[in-house]
Amino acid sequence: MPEAAISIRNLSKTYPTPFRRLRAFFRRPVKEPVEALRDVSFDVREGEIFGLIGRNGAGKTTLTKIVATLVQPTTGSVSVRGNDSVLHDEQVRRQIGLATAEERSFYWRLTAEQNLMFFARLHGLSDRTAKQRMSELFAKLELEEVARRRFGEMSTGNKQRLAVARAMLSNPPVLLLDEPTRSLDPLAAARMRALISSLAQQDPPVTILLTSHNLAEVETLCERVAIISRGRIRALDTPQHLRSLTSKSEQVHLTVSGLNGSHESERISFTRESHDSRLDEMLRDLQKRGARILDVEVERGSLLDVLELYESKGETQ
Amino acid sequence: MNSLRLLPRRIFAFVARDFRLFVSYRMQFFLRIVSVLAVVTTLFFISKIFSGFTDPRYSQWRDPLATWLTGLAVLNYFMTGFSSLANSIRQEQMQGTLESVLLTPINLPTVIVASSAWDFLETTFFSFLYLFFGRVFFGVQFRGSFFLAVIFLLLTTVVLACLGILSASFAMVFKRGDPFGIFLGAGSALFSGVFFPTQLLKEYAGPKLGGISLILPATHGLDGIRQVLIEGHGLAQVTQPLFVLLGFLVVLLPFSLWVFGRAVRRAKREGSLIQY
Repeated sequence: MPEAAISIRNLSKTYPTPFRRLRAFFRRPVKEPVEALRDVSFDVREGEIFGLIGRNGAGKTTLTKIVATLVQPTTGSVSVRGNDSVLHDEQVRRQIGLATAEERSFYWRLTAEQNLMFFARLHGLSDRTAKQRMSELFAKLELEEVARRRFGEMSTGNKQRLAVARAMLSNPPVLLLDEPTRSLDPLAAARMRALISSLAQQDPPVTILLTSHNLAEVETLCERVAIISRGRIRALDTPQHLRSLTSKSEQVHLTVSGLNGSHESERISFTRESHDSRLDEMLRDLQKRGARILDVEVERGSLLDVLELYESKGETQ
Repeated sequence: MNSLRLLPRRIFAFVARDFRLFVSYRMQFFLRIVSVLAVVTTLFFISKIFSGFTDPRYSQWRDPLATWLTGLAVLNYFMTGFSSLANSIRQEQMQGTLESVLLTPINLPTVIVASSAWDFLETTFFSFLYLFFGRVFFGVQFRGSFFLAVIFLLLTTVVLACLGILSASFAMVFKRGDPFGIFLGAGSALFSGVFFPTQLLKEYAGPKLGGISLILPATHGLDGIRQVLIEGHGLAQVTQPLFVLLGFLVVLLPFSLWVFGRAVRRAKREGSLIQY
């Protein structure tokens, strides 16, 4: 059993109302404290790509920021490779890189290179090592052409790739990626997914906690996925198992020609239970009747269906 | 220990970053130099109105231009001492860059100290410019030990930095920058004897209002520096302002660090540290 790279235990976070008593004393409106996370527990294994999905305001960002030591939990604990995020926050930050889609996190009047050099120095890298690492990352993320361009003059996609480059600057064993392909064109997004996938397979592997609204991306990349809704983890499993939670059946559509000597192509649809023998039987029968199979389409339940299921459950609770 | 070893490199990172940002606004830099020269020239002509009229009770004011220039140069430095710490964190908060800085293995006190380092360098340059223009263009003479003057300058700056730490704590929790800066900035200009002798305040406004100058560290710092640079006093003659400043330091340093520690914990708990 691989060791946990990120271990989250009974984590709760409630944002208190600042100066509640003072506001009440001056008869100013007092907002209620906001419960962002409640009793969240899970582990992310070394070298795993772990997906976290949920609607806006579900608690994904708070969870990521607690792991990144930017926010302290109300109760519970988070440890990254054995280091507690509150007690040993500096050691935790040495082990992680966070890439968000937040454009304001860079200095707009500095170039991409100058920005990365600043953060490399804060990580304690020597200028020589930093330059070498930056050139590797610029090549890997196809940023060489814009390396000397001011951040403010870069396209949104390049800004996002630079955020990923910054997260990888110190070669951290754990990466927290918040919607890493949100602003990328389809080709660049595919390359980013390939990069993420390769990071988890390299030696030593990088552990990745990925939050995304692109469910297809999560399904493709992640070994396990957690569904978070209203601050609680509602389900956690492999994408395949999660999909089977909504429906165990799937629709199969076959396009065939030459059936019973006919030259016309025909579409045959049927429902089957996952992994039953109906598809096999149907294919044998069609071949016996001289049919040529032109196309096969399978409609399965998606993570979207699972997300909708838990959201609707949450609303009725 | 590792943080301490990396501190110079991190300070260098912030200074290099701020230098690059600074040179990206070249025009502003040249305009500031011109404005310092304009102020020094204006003060030179105003000082000519008073030539030969100085009251013998105000020994530091025999050459008003020299006294104003030391006052302005040092006030600049003092203002940086208490405002740059709070401003540095507020500016990073407003830009949205504080979060990415805090994601590196660096602690908050280091961020605050390192990110205000450039302000001190810049202020040193412009403060020096007041004295340089006075000496080169208007023949202002400074005597006494520059070393002793620098000791006074550093001590007063550290005392004011303690107030700056209090101000930074306030900025972190309330998300409002530099509340003490307004009070101390205007207060120091009025009550610390930058433009006129503090004794005049007592004579005209009474001992209560005049007494305000005594509770401002800048008054004692400025008095010490002028005693050294204008009157040519040595260490034995400036012990009074020196001990007052040390007294401020003994009280303010532990208090400001205690408040700062509490403010950091509160900001992390409330999640307000990285909010704009």
